[in-house]
Amino acid sequence: MSSCIYILDENLEPLISKNIKSIPNLRYIAQLFKRVYEPASPPITTSLNWHFIRIKRDSLIFLSAVHTSDYDCDIMCVISFLDQFHLLLKKFLETPVLDRNMILDNVLLIMELFEETIDFGIVQSTESSILKDYVRIKINMPDSTIINQLRDASAKDSEESDNEAKKKSKRVSGMPDLYKYLQISKSTNEKKTSTKDTFDEEGVDTYNSFIANTTVMPISWRTKGIHYGKNEFFLDVIERVQYFMDFEQGIIRTNLIHGQIFCKSYLSGMPKLKIAINKLLKRDAQFISNSKFHQCVSLESLNEKEIQFIPPDGDFVLCKYELKRHVNDPPMLKLSSYEVKAKIKKYKVQILVTIETHFKGQNSTSGLSVKVPLSQIFKDYEIDLRKPARFKSSTGNVLFNLSEDFLLWEVGAMKGGHGETKLSMTAEFALFNKEEYEKEVEELRNSMNPPPIREGPKLEELYKQIHEDDVSKTISLASNLVTMRFEVPYCTCSGLKVEYLKIEEEQLQYQSFPWVRYKTVSDEEYAYLV
Amino acid sequence: MSDHKIFTRYKANEIRAELQSFEVKKSKVSANKRKDGLKKIIANLTLGNYNEMAYLAPEILKFWKIEDDLEVKRICHEYVRSFGIVNPKNTVEALPFILNDLKNRNEKIQIMALKTLVAVPSAEFIDEASRIIPSFVNRRSVPPDVTRTAIYALKRLDEVNHDRVVECLPFLLELIQRENVDPIIHVAALNTLNSIHESNPNLQPLKLSMETAFNSLDLLQTLNEWDKALVLDALTISAVPGSHEDAYEMIDIVLPQLQHVNTFVALNAFKFIAYLLNYVDSVNESLIKRFSNSIISLLNKPPELQFLVLRNVILLLLSRDVPLLNLDVSYFFIEFTDPIFIKDTKLECLYLLANEETLPRILEELEQYATDIDIQMSRKAIRAIGNLAVKLKHHSASECVTALLDLLEFGVEYVVQEIISVFRNILRKHPSEFKSCIKDLVKYTDSVQEPESKNAMIWIITNYSDNMSNYLQIFQIFSSKFLEETLDVQFSILNSSVKFFVRDPNPKTEKICMQMLKSCTEDSNNPDLRNRAFMYWSLLSLAQTDKAHLLSNESLKNILDGELPVIELNTKLDPVILEELELNIGTIASIYLKPVSQIFRNTRPRYLLPSPALNKSRGQLKILHDTKNWNNLESLDTLHEDFSNNRSDKSAHKKSMMNDYDKPAETVNQLKGKRKSSSTSPSKLSRKPSMLVRKLSIRKPFS
Repeated sequence: MSSCIYILDENLEPLISKNIKSIPNLRYIAQLFKRVYEPASPPITTSLNWHFIRIKRDSLIFLSAVHTSDYDCDIMCVISFLDQFHLLLKKFLETPVLDRNMILDNVLLIMELFEETIDFGIVQSTESSILKDYVRIKINMPDSTIINQLRDASAKDSEESDNEAKKKSKRVSGMPDLYKYLQISKSTNEKKTSTKDTFDEEGVDTYNSFIANTTVMPISWRTKGIHYGKNEFFLDVIERVQYFMDFEQGIIRTNLIHGQIFCKSYLSGMPKLKIAINKLLKRDAQFISNSKFHQCVSLESLNEKEIQFIPPDGDFVLCKYELKRHVNDPPMLKLSSYEVKAKIKKYKVQILVTIETHFKGQNSTSGLSVKVPLSQIFKDYEIDLRKPARFKSSTGNVLFNLSEDFLLWEVGAMKGGHGETKLSMTAEFALFNKEEYEKEVEELRNSMNPPPIREGPKLEELYKQIHEDDVSKTISLASNLVTMRFEVPYCTCSGLKVEYLKIEEEQLQYQSFPWVRYKTVSDEEYAYLV
Repeated sequence: MSDHKIFTRYKANEIRAELQSFEVKKSKVSANKRKDGLKKIIANLTLGNYNEMAYLAPEILKFWKIEDDLEVKRICHEYVRSFGIVNPKNTVEALPFILNDLKNRNEKIQIMALKTLVAVPSAEFIDEASRIIPSFVNRRSVPPDVTRTAIYALKRLDEVNHDRVVECLPFLLELIQRENVDPIIHVAALNTLNSIHESNPNLQPLKLSMETAFNSLDLLQTLNEWDKALVLDALTISAVPGSHEDAYEMIDIVLPQLQHVNTFVALNAFKFIAYLLNYVDSVNESLIKRFSNSIISLLNKPPELQFLVLRNVILLLLSRDVPLLNLDVSYFFIEFTDPIFIKDTKLECLYLLANEETLPRILEELEQYATDIDIQMSRKAIRAIGNLAVKLKHHSASECVTALLDLLEFGVEYVVQEIISVFRNILRKHPSEFKSCIKDLVKYTDSVQEPESKNAMIWIITNYSDNMSNYLQIFQIFSSKFLEETLDVQFSILNSSVKFFVRDPNPKTEKICMQMLKSCTEDSNNPDLRNRAFMYWSLLSLAQTDKAHLLSNESLKNILDGELPVIELNTKLDPVILEELELNIGTIASIYLKPVSQIFRNTRPRYLLPSPALNKSRGQLKILHDTKNWNNLESLDTLHEDFSNNRSDKSAHKKSMMNDYDKPAETVNQLKGKRKSSSTSPSKLSRKPSMLVRKLSIRKPFS
């Protein structure tokens, strides 16, 4: 078993340590770890008689040190324990993300948790529902006390001087914390109202739940006795499309779909759910080999072409999958043409962009924006920003971002189709006309009139100011990408469809409401290299 | 209340003042303040502020006397534990209080006291512990929680006072055998007994009777996850099946645990079954499928856990000639979000999984990695392709070579370097098959930069000089900058120049050879290089002088330009070590793939205990392909056994609906494969899919 356990902050300073084997110098071991630590190294490192086993969660590192003379160490146990302990802490502190301050604020609580979860390095239990029964009375939760204080304070408007002093120190120590506490209180309140019955029941027969937990182990993700007035189940299929194409050479580099099935379950009792997905029914080999399911899914059921599971309560990701698309499958949104036309004689340069959609006609994008890079054009041509740039688009607005050199064409809604729905945008910039400029300068010099008044911002000066610094002018790959952001509701790029969704609860036999939604969105990378 | 304020260094006086000032009032406020003071002590101990805190010992003892609060007690105990380690003598004063706490009616305080007692490494404490703990274990009236702690404390005590603990061992064994013992005590006794036996080489390995083993296994249902795993761990080795039937029965009991969410339990179940397979003459294929599926589901975990599982997959793939796993390669394909250590391990798995059947898919994947933006990854992928070419037979190797040549055209600098480096190994393994590639390789002579790839290039030029007309010209690219090269490249250049001359003595080669020998002996500062040059020189001159009868040209050629042995990649470990490693699934040994004795000192290696049912060699295990032969397993197991989605499985009893599963997934990788639209094919099941969808979806935009 591990000799000692630490929780370290991002600077590898120990926040809390638990000495299991009476190690004389805990600090030294932490320092030793600091010396050998490399972020990229595997989670197990060995140095000078010590094996260090660590997991990195949020900004913290949970570390366990094992002496090399100590054979009785199942590393799997250590890592699983650290992992579970992290989850446990999150549950106890009721926060989605742990940080340094939270640990420091709850030293005693964590010490006690260590004490309860491990005896002489042997893990006893990490089930939060059980431990909450054990540790409940003595939990010193700064979060909740502070929330209470704040509530008191706002209600009574600071009566006790003692309390006020505390409150002040709190305020000084960090406003954002205050906000966070309020958030937490809010969320817990919400939770309480939504699952009021659950809480009550847990309060009454905690011992029951303990037994249930230990004996009916296979369903460790759902407690018994959950009750909702209205039984609802929400299922969202969201697909992110990643696409990258070299527009000039016409080569598609990436064409991927990252799909996720999000679920929100507000169901009573122990419901059994059955979901059929068309991909599974058709035994789509690609889908089957590239999908991962939540622990609640009984994987055997996948052979029977449906997903069977008893869902955990609340939010969870039922399934993640990744699909590759064929090169010839048209992208949902296609850049059909991109041209830069220079009309030297007219001292003008034009950028023409046309896009087209490739999805079902009855759907349309709920948000679409196209980003057109300009740095290359500014580099190739001498653009005269004293003359106004002109933009024309069939729908939507065009915005000119001067500091980062791009045009943002906000299209908004665009109807689906199979190449027939097209939208285009033209942008026109004036080129620097040397003759004209010299003539003007000459005129100005000779005439007595003041120079003509110009209204609006002086773009050329702003441009100069901003771009003074980056003299190097290296044009990176990113500045040659036409990127698109979009969202298409009610449609999945892969064609994935939920064929049916059955909810069965044998004992309660309630009516339930399943909701299914689909959406396709663009990934971070949805771009054309031009 | 709690804040960062607690977590700063304090002087002893400050805390003392805080503790005393509120002592008078008995109100709740002062009790809280006092607690804060105590908390500060603990915080300071965590910060390592021992010197200051040492002054507070009297205060702590005072509180111990008067307070009954659990939290205060806890702090007092924590204080003694932390101090006892640093300065055992000073804590002796606290001993009476601890002994007093042992008699407390509150179980928690008793447990606390027990823990403190063994935590302090001083003679007084150990004496007391050795006296008290066995009595706690023996007494029946003690509550189970306390007994359990006492039993685990024995384990700790064993490290300091082995003789006293040995006396308790028979009692522990009796506890395990006794009926109607609280399960948690049973587990504690089993675990403690097992680990004491294991950590003391002078004791015989623990061997349990079949009956006891079955009793322990029957408890599995009632235990929590960690205890489950501990039982499975302890029973590995110590439960020796007397016959094949016993082994089968035990496997049946443990099998459902493979599906457990906790990786620790699943992997221990795995270990236990793998161990039992040594006592079984044949095993059904469905078990292998089950193994594989449980491993695959374990891969869907946080990266650190995934890493451990992957390392164990490597172990299991290596461990038997017919591996216990049958995994589809696609699970080991790398995702760009994987941390580096996962990527490396996955590459290793891919390498091990590669065979003629899977190679095309693996190669396609590796080629993608090779063009990755991440340079390290790209290099590793190329290395892996090279290693595969060395590992596999001629036909598959040529596929690898083709892939490498394709990548070579890619022309990126580091890719070229790496390919040249791996090609040397490929050519050494398959000396004559790939001669035709050499022309392509040599084109890149100018672009090799790194010492390793230079070495490789020089080696290739030298060994295949007869395939090239202008080899000397190419060689001169290197030899002309001789002095600028790193040492190992210099060695290669020297060796090659001598080889050229010996092979084909003509004025040109002689000139180069002499030039090199000269610059080695005259310009080089490195004694090794100089010495080698002198040695060559004297050898060459010996053969040329009138003493030529001492050294014929033939033997000179043999010495300088001999045949190199064919290389083999050594992935096989010693079978004895493998057997030991298989019993250590999940431990550190499995991560490093080294025998336990090399990683942990003072331990007895695990080995299989003899039994009439023990297989003589691990190869003896047969895998049956017929489900009907193994009915007992099926009947106990309610889950449907037909894992028809076991992808790459080439089983004999394939159902007709499975037909599309044995197809390699190239069709899946549609970027390069045949056209197959993934978006527009309609569903076959629902007659009116549009209706269903309309029913199911809500016309409301996403929030």
